[in-house]
Amino acid sequence: MRKGRWIQSVLISTVVAIAAFVAVISAHYHPVLGLDLQGGASVVYKPARKVSAATLDETISIIENRVNALGVGEPSIGQQGNDIVVDLPGIKDPKKALSFIGQTAILQFRPVLCTAPLYTKPPASLHLTKQQLTPTCPTSATDTASTLQYVPTTSPLTATSASTAVLPEYSGNSKTVVARYVVGPTLLTGNAIKSVYAAPESQTVTNKWAINFTLTAKASPVFNQIAKTYYHQLLAVVLDGTVQSAPEINSTNFNGQGQITGNYTQATATDLATILHYGALPVQLVQQTVQTISPTLGAASLRAGLIAGVAGLILVMLYTIFYYRLLGLVVVGGLATTFAALWAIIALLGHTAQLTLNLAGVTGIIVSIGVIVDSYIVFFERLKDEARNGRSLRASVDTGFSKAFRTIIAADLVSFIGAALLYYFSIGDVRGFAFFLGLSTILDVASAWFFTRPLVLWIGNSISPKRYRWLGVPLVQVTQKPLGGTGVIRPSRVAAKGV
Amino acid sequence: MSDDTINHHAQTDDETPVLEPREEAKSEGFGVQTIDVSEASWWRRLGAGATHYPFVHRSRYYFVLSFLVIVAGLAALTGRGLNFGISFKGGVSWQVPSATLTVKQANTIVARAGVTQATVVTLGSHSARTLEVQADLTKLSGAARTAKENQVASLLAAKAHIPSSAVAIEFVGPTWGGQITDAAVKALIAFFVGIILYISIRFEWKMAAAAIIAVVHDLLVTIGIYALSGFQVTPSTVIAVLTILGYSLYDTIVVFDRIKENVGGLVDKGKMNYSDAVDLSVNQTLARSLNTSLVAVIPILSVLVIGAYVLGATTLKNFGLALVVGLTSGAYSSLFIASPLLARFKEREHRYRQIRARIERRAVVAEPEGMTAS
Repeated sequence: MRKGRWIQSVLISTVVAIAAFVAVISAHYHPVLGLDLQGGASVVYKPARKVSAATLDETISIIENRVNALGVGEPSIGQQGNDIVVDLPGIKDPKKALSFIGQTAILQFRPVLCTAPLYTKPPASLHLTKQQLTPTCPTSATDTASTLQYVPTTSPLTATSASTAVLPEYSGNSKTVVARYVVGPTLLTGNAIKSVYAAPESQTVTNKWAINFTLTAKASPVFNQIAKTYYHQLLAVVLDGTVQSAPEINSTNFNGQGQITGNYTQATATDLATILHYGALPVQLVQQTVQTISPTLGAASLRAGLIAGVAGLILVMLYTIFYYRLLGLVVVGGLATTFAALWAIIALLGHTAQLTLNLAGVTGIIVSIGVIVDSYIVFFERLKDEARNGRSLRASVDTGFSKAFRTIIAADLVSFIGAALLYYFSIGDVRGFAFFLGLSTILDVASAWFFTRPLVLWIGNSISPKRYRWLGVPLVQVTQKPLGGTGVIRPSRVAAKGV
Repeated sequence: MSDDTINHHAQTDDETPVLEPREEAKSEGFGVQTIDVSEASWWRRLGAGATHYPFVHRSRYYFVLSFLVIVAGLAALTGRGLNFGISFKGGVSWQVPSATLTVKQANTIVARAGVTQATVVTLGSHSARTLEVQADLTKLSGAARTAKENQVASLLAAKAHIPSSAVAIEFVGPTWGGQITDAAVKALIAFFVGIILYISIRFEWKMAAAAIIAVVHDLLVTIGIYALSGFQVTPSTVIAVLTILGYSLYDTIVVFDRIKENVGGLVDKGKMNYSDAVDLSVNQTLARSLNTSLVAVIPILSVLVIGAYVLGATTLKNFGLALVVGLTSGAYSSLFIASPLLARFKEREHRYRQIRARIERRAVVAEPEGMTAS
């Protein structure tokens, strides 16, 4: 029986949409909101000069490190042409964070006062005073040794300006802290380095690498002074508030040149050399746009968008029910399943592919309500046309759909081509908008085929002819009596031959 | 419909004409009523696709109307130009959520901070009221600019009794707008080429030409209205305009699809000339066109009214305005520009001239059929 298959198709598509919706909800996947909806900061940087792709990649990875050091939830760092786009949703102090990210040189040489144990959370029973939680090295007179492990690592935002700080050293590229140091005030900055290169420690030992550097003429005497003061102590090379290396000073006179040796491989030595050489970023970055939005304003926009969308949706549903009656309910069901599926896809992509839903995207979805409902209107008007031409309801549904579906595909394709080109060529918000419009266009076609068609076919076959007026505005065939020459309105030719 | 019961559905012809709409429920058949034109309400005729508006035959009036609107818009465009937002010319904007801060207070504060030529507007109302201050600070260098941004933000925040982090700051560099415009123009060109190709393959190039002219019409009308009204042009406006193009085409395609079908069934069989077929098609799809436009405009009006004026979200307002203007123009152009243009293009073809001549000859012989174009 075909009826069985129709019901099956309706049920399956509804169940799939709702199951997907329930699945993402129960997996706690929520659409990732853009920062215009949850507050935060966004900045677009452009390199001050033309740079190679490799340099740009390097810059991006340095920015990534900095952003990761900030500990922002779900940041996104991307490349758009030659621009670098950094989004920091939900960040507390956007101004400070942005100046931290965009800075070109925060390389510091700082004395290591002592090494600190890795951070452990202080037990609840222990009531530490603020004094005990400041980074101080243990002296015989105090018992700070026992509390130093409870002193949190200094945030990179404040580390660069603090006179003493507890700074972490990470192992390689991972986020694991391998050591912590209590460091003193900055003695020299990255400007002191004139040139630097990585090379094997000696010609005989090629598996151990060292970093050779030359100081500027001005910095050379300062460096010697430092070497005298901190002789046989550790000197921390600090980048963006993290210790890159803490070599021991083994001489008091460097003559403007030095070598850092240690447990370096070729890769780690080259990395450190690059950091020393460029200060921090290989190229100066110019801010193209900066946007900071407070969480309250973001929430207000989200609320405005949601209320507007829901109100629009309800009005559209009321109108379709008023105009198409029972078929209007089909529209409501179709919209419900389509939006359940859309929500699931947005939440899933937000979780797996960093898709963010911003205000432009919300608008795209609101606009797509019109596109989706239009498909129903095309179908229903077609159906009525067919019925008016004298076909039975079930025949009308069948031919009406196959004709309408062609139109829907043609029109949706235009919409989709537009959205795809818009997505491909545009930048910024436009992309988000185009993506959501394109996505809903695809869902529209799917829903027309798997949901609307079988449901209307089923209704068309089940409904008793007595109930036909449930299908909306009564079907009227308007004809014209031959009135001589005065008639402006001709009989519908199509209608006349339909029988 | 090969299987089971095809039966008991009385044909239209068997129906005695009934006037009361309730009667149809009693009838065993489909319930198609036959009503004479003189007795059918406009609503009825519209629903039945039986209106007979002379879209093609009156098209020169519509063309003149559109021409006048476009000329007025272009005059305003050359005269005062468009009011570009900071996203295009570069600058800084501060958004201060506050129900109490007045425009005058904000102006004084900003002037005291040494920022000249700032514009202040209010958005939304009551608890959702936001004050937006815009100024051009692009001449300042990076650090000085950031300092000034923060200074103004904290001054405004202090006056509005909110923490300074609640002030949203947006800075746009002077070259960014150019990039957006470049991208938009590229997208636009690609869009046109893509659509022309698609319609030419799916339908024919004359339909593509008529559809594209209608879309250009919408573009010009929207730009003109922006120039005339002085609404601010933002990236959201650009997005909205690009959407409109898609939507307007979508509308046009639905009508063209019907024209193609009617031409195949009526014109090619010599029953009707091309212009009449276009008029018939547009009238047949009129209910759909109006319903569609309504359904498209409802959510956008809701965005505009609720989102922008009541709740005060700038981006939504910028979207909404352009969309409402463009959708209206798009709905109009599908009916009054694209379809008549197509008829004019096609009537030039030898084949359709012949069909027209043949029908006219026949009409003279078989008079009262009423085939003469009104």
